[in-house]
Amino acid sequence: MSETEKQAINRNTLLKSVDKPGRYSGGEYGQIIKDKDRVKARFAFLFPDTYEIGMSNLGVRILYGALNRFDDIWCERVYAPWVDMEDKMRQLGLPLTAHESKDPVRDFDFLGITLQYEMSYTNVLNCIDLSGIPHFACDRSEDDPLVIGGGPCAYNPEPVADFFDLFNIGEGEEMLPSIVHLYIEMKEEGRYTRKAFLHEAAATIQGVYVPSLYEVSYNADGTIAAYKPLYDDIPKSVRKQIVEDMDTAYFPEHVVMPYIETVHDRIMLEVFRGCIRGCRFCQAGIIYRPVREKTPECLDRQAKCLYDSTGYDEISLTSLAIDDYSQLDELTDQLMSWTNERKISLSLPSLRVDSFTKELMEKIVSVRTSSLTFAMEAGTQRLRDVINKNVTEEELMRAMNVAFTGGKSQVKLYFMQGLPTETQEDLAGIPALASRVLDLFYATPDRPKGKPPKVTISVSPFIPKPFTPFQWEPQDSLQTMRDKQDYIGQLVHDPKIRYEHHEAQICRIEAVLARGDRRIGRALELAQKKGFRFDAWSEHFDYDRWISVFREAGIDPDFYACRRWGTDEVLPWDVIDCGVSKAFLLREREKAYAQKTTPNCRQQCSGCGANKLGGVRSCCPKARS
Amino acid sequence: MLPQSQILKENDPMQRPLLNEPVIYRVLFCKRNDAQYISHLDLQRTIMRVLSRAGIPMWYTEGFNPHPKVIFALPLSVGAESVCEFLDLKIARQISCEETKDLLNRQLTADMEVRDVYVPETKFTEIGWADYTVRCVWPGLDTVGEEQIVSFLQTSPVLVTKKSKSGPKTFDIVPLIGRISLSREDKQLVFRLRLSASENDYLNPELLLGALREQFELGPEDPAAETHTIMRDEVYFKNGTVFR
Repeated sequence: MSETEKQAINRNTLLKSVDKPGRYSGGEYGQIIKDKDRVKARFAFLFPDTYEIGMSNLGVRILYGALNRFDDIWCERVYAPWVDMEDKMRQLGLPLTAHESKDPVRDFDFLGITLQYEMSYTNVLNCIDLSGIPHFACDRSEDDPLVIGGGPCAYNPEPVADFFDLFNIGEGEEMLPSIVHLYIEMKEEGRYTRKAFLHEAAATIQGVYVPSLYEVSYNADGTIAAYKPLYDDIPKSVRKQIVEDMDTAYFPEHVVMPYIETVHDRIMLEVFRGCIRGCRFCQAGIIYRPVREKTPECLDRQAKCLYDSTGYDEISLTSLAIDDYSQLDELTDQLMSWTNERKISLSLPSLRVDSFTKELMEKIVSVRTSSLTFAMEAGTQRLRDVINKNVTEEELMRAMNVAFTGGKSQVKLYFMQGLPTETQEDLAGIPALASRVLDLFYATPDRPKGKPPKVTISVSPFIPKPFTPFQWEPQDSLQTMRDKQDYIGQLVHDPKIRYEHHEAQICRIEAVLARGDRRIGRALELAQKKGFRFDAWSEHFDYDRWISVFREAGIDPDFYACRRWGTDEVLPWDVIDCGVSKAFLLREREKAYAQKTTPNCRQQCSGCGANKLGGVRSCCPKARS
Repeated sequence: MLPQSQILKENDPMQRPLLNEPVIYRVLFCKRNDAQYISHLDLQRTIMRVLSRAGIPMWYTEGFNPHPKVIFALPLSVGAESVCEFLDLKIARQISCEETKDLLNRQLTADMEVRDVYVPETKFTEIGWADYTVRCVWPGLDTVGEEQIVSFLQTSPVLVTKKSKSGPKTFDIVPLIGRISLSREDKQLVFRLRLSASENDYLNPELLLGALREQFELGPEDPAAETHTIMRDEVYFKNGTVFR
C-alpha cells in the first residue's frame, strides 16, 4: 500500500471510531480549496474549541474570507479535537491537521488562534502541543509556524504571551492580510528571519504586539514595575486597529456550510460594531469602541447575498445591543419585504427592555422559540445605577407587558452577583423582581391562556475584566460567591421561578486568567502537561487541580482575583491601548461609587477617547469624520 | 460592489406561475467520500438549505410552521457511502427536471452529486433489496477462507441484535441476504451483497459485519490497521429489477 492509501485508510478508520465524525470530515459546501504549490503563505486558523462552537463564530467566518480573498494566501480552518479524537490521535502519533487540506498544522507559515474566552487557554496550549510546535515562542525555530493570537482576550494577552510570536490587537480584516503580506514580501526579498519579521511587523503595522520585544520587571510586592520596549521604533503601548467604515469593510458573501448542527446555525448579520452604553462591568462595551453602524441598504444587500449562499431560514441581527441601532425600523422593514414570502424568520438577540416595543415584538414573533431574554444585571435601581445599566423597573414591566400581551409566557432575566457596592438588599431584589414579573403576568388581561408562566433568573458571579471601570475591583471569595448563591436560592419559593447560576469555581479561575500577567504562563504550561483541556466545559473542569497547579507554579490566585488593585499600579494590559483612556475608566469608577449614571454615546459624549480612532457612522457627537 | 443577488435575478423559478397541482420530483443522488459522515438528520437539514439556496420552488405545508415537503428513501448509516440515494420533492411552480438537477448540482459538492431528477412512477414502499460493496482490511481476515464466511452467512440462524424503539430486538439475518459473493483484491476482502431493504426488513450491512467479526473473532485491537468501507451501489424492487 502506498503512503497516501495508508493515510486514507487511517483517516477513515479514525473517523469511524469517534463520536460525531462530521466534526472532522470536512468537505463542506463553501470551503475554500487552493493549490498549495501556488500560494505564497499558508495560514491555519484555529478556534480552540469544538467544531460546533468554532463554526458558529462570526469573526472567524469574516477573517477566513478576508485572508482567502488574496490569491497568494490560503487560510484553512482548525478546531480542537474532542477528547475521544485527541486520545486516538496521540495514541497513533497523528498531529493536528487543517480541515481543508488535512495537512499538518506545523507545516503552515502561520497558526492563528482566536482567543474568545479565558477558559479556552488550556485548549490553546494543548492544540499547539498537538501540532508538534514548541510551546514557547522563544523555543521555535525558523521552520516553525508563526503563532499569532487575536480576539477579545488578546486585549490582555499577558497570561498567554509567552506562547505567541505576535498578537493582532483590534480588528483583523485588514491587519491580518497585511501581516501575512509583510511576511511574503520579506521572504521574496530574501530578508526574512523570524526575528527581523517580528520586529518589522511591530514597528510598521498598527495593532501588532510582539511580546518578546517587551521586558517586564516586577516590584517586591509582586506588582508590575514597568514594561520596557527593547527597541525605540516599537510602540510603548500598542494601539488597536479598527475598520473605519463598516459598509465598505470586507464582508464574506459566501460562508462554509456545516453539515452537522452547530451552535448558531443561521445567518449572522452584524449590524454595527461597538456599543453606545458603557455598562461598567462590560469589556465588550469598551474594547469595540467606537460604535460604527452599517446602513440598512448595505445590510439588506448583505443579507440577500448570505441567503443565496447559505439557504438558512433564520437571520439573526447581531450586535451588542441590537435595539440601539439607529435605523432598526428601516432595516427590519426592508428585510421583511423579501424574508416573509421566503419563510425566513428574523431573530434579535440582545434586546434591551427600554426599547422593546409591540412593533418590534411583532416583527420577531415568527421566531420559533417561545422565550425572551433580557439583561437586568442587578436587582435594585441603586445597583443598576452603580453599574450604569440605565434601565428601570418600570421599563422592564412595560416590556414584560408587551411580551405577555403578545403571547409570550416565558421570560429569562440575567443578573450578576458580587458587583462593587452590592448589599444583601440588592441580592434579595433579584428574586423579588422575578416575583413582580410573575404578578404582572397574572395582572395582564390579554396574557396567553392555558400556558403556565415561567420566569427564569440566571445569576452569574462578577468577574473583573481589563479595560472596564471595574478593572481594579476585587472578585468575591469563593465562599462568599457560594453563600450569595445559596442566599438567592433560599429566597426563591415559587416553582414558576427558575433559578440558574454559574459554577463559582470556574468564575474564580476565569478571574485569575482575565487579569493575569506573564507569570500565569508557567501555570498554563504545567496545566497542559498534566492534561488539562476543555476547561470551559464543566465536565472537564477540575477546580482542585487548578489550585494545585497554581501552587506548584508559585502563583497565588487571590493576588489576581480577589485583590483591590491600586489605581497607580502598572496593569499587565497597560501595554495595550484600546482607544479608551484610563482617565475615562477612572472617572467612571468614581461615578459608580457616587451612584451616578453616564448618558449613552448618542445622548452626549463622555470623552472616553475612542473617537480618536476615527470611524464612520459612529454615533459619537465629537467623532472625527 | 456586491454581486447581484439571486433574489433579484431574472427568470427566478420562485417567481414563476404556480402549478395547478403540486408535482413530485424524484432526485437520485450520491453520498460519497466525506459526505458519508453526515448523519441522516444532518442530511435532512442540509437538503433543506440546498433547496432554499438553489431557489427550487417547493410546495410548503400549511399550518403554523410551514416547511417544504421532502421524503427520503432508505436512510443510510453514518460511515456508509452510496451512489443510489433517493429523495422526493413536492414542487409548487413551473420548473423542469433538467433545470432542477442543474440548480441542485450548483449548490452541492461533488460528494453529493445529483445523478438524475425525474417524475417517479413508483413508491418507496416497493423497494425490496439493495446492493452493497463492502471492502474489509481486518487483522486475522487472511486466515479465514471465503467458503467459511459464505457458508456461515447461509446457514440459519445467524442471530444479530439491533436497538429499536421498543428495546433490543434479536433476529436471524440469513433470510435477509439475497445474494453474496466474495473475492480478494490486494489485501482486501471484497463482499458483494444483496440485502433486504424493504420497509419492515431492512438489513444494515454493519449488522452483518458485526456478526462476522464475532463469529471469526476478528478483533479491533489495532485501530490503525483495521477498516472497512461500505458502498450502496443499487436499489431493487422486490422482484429484483432495478428500482427508480
